[in-house]
Amino acid sequence: MAERPEDLNLPNAVITRIIKEALPDGVNISKEARSAISRAASVFVLYATSCANNFAMKGKRKTLNASDVLSAMEEMEFQRFVGPLKESLEVYRREQKGKKEARKDKDKKADSEEQDKSREEENDDDDERMEEEEQNDEEEVDN
Amino acid sequence: MAAVAGAVPVPVAGAEAAGPGEEAAGAGPARLARLPLARVKALVKADPDVSLASQEAVFVLARATELFVETIAKDAYVYAQQGKRKTLQRKDLDNAIEAIDEFAFLEGTLD
Repeated sequence: MAERPEDLNLPNAVITRIIKEALPDGVNISKEARSAISRAASVFVLYATSCANNFAMKGKRKTLNASDVLSAMEEMEFQRFVGPLKESLEVYRREQKGKKEARKDKDKKADSEEQDKSREEENDDDDERMEEEEQNDEEEVDN
Repeated sequence: MAAVAGAVPVPVAGAEAAGPGEEAAGAGPARLARLPLARVKALVKADPDVSLASQEAVFVLARATELFVETIAKDAYVYAQQGKRKTLQRKDLDNAIEAIDEFAFLEGTLD
C-alpha cells in the first residue's frame, strides 16, 4: 500500500499506451522515461487538485466540482486542454444521465419527486447524487 | 406511467460517440477516460485539504492527466529528434521540463 502521495502511481500499461499513441510510429520510450512520465502524471494530479481546491474554497464549497478543475487548468496555463475537456465532460454527462434514467425506471416510487428536481437542476442533480454516493464512501475517512 | 418530462432519452448503445471500452482511432477529445477513475480519486484524496470531489471532477482530472501525458511526451520527443534518436529518454524529459514554462511545477519532483 502506498503511503506517500507521490507513490500513488497510475497504471503503467495505460500510461505507456497514451505515450505511444501520442508519438509517431516506430518511436520507442525507455523504461526510465516512461517511469518519469508516470510520476509526472501523478504530480500533475496532485497539483491540479490543490489548484482546483482553491477555487472550490473561494466558492465556499467543500466539494470539488468539474468547473473547479477546468479553472485549475487555466490557472496552470493549460488553457488548450479546456475545450477538449468540456467536450469529454458532455459525453460523460450524457452517459451518466443514461445510467440514471435506467435506475429511475426501476424505482417508480421516487419518480414524482425526481420530476420536479430534474426540471430545475438537471446538471447539478447528477453532481449532488454523486456527492451523496461519495459521502457514503468518505464517511470512514476523516479529512 | 408517463415519461419524465424534459428527460434526455436513454442513448442506444453504439449510437453515441463513445461508449465504455470503446477506443476511437486517435485520441479524439470527446473520448471517455482511459485512466481508472479510482486511482485518480486516490490521488485526490491524498490531499489533506480536500474533503470531497464529485465524480465529474475526478473524470475531468483523469482526462486532463491523459492530455498532459500526451503533451509532455510530444514535447520531450522534440529533444530526442534533435539528438537523432528514435527512443525517448529520461534526459529528453528533463530538457522539456526545463525549457517549457508550463512544466515548471515538475521541477525537482521526479527524482
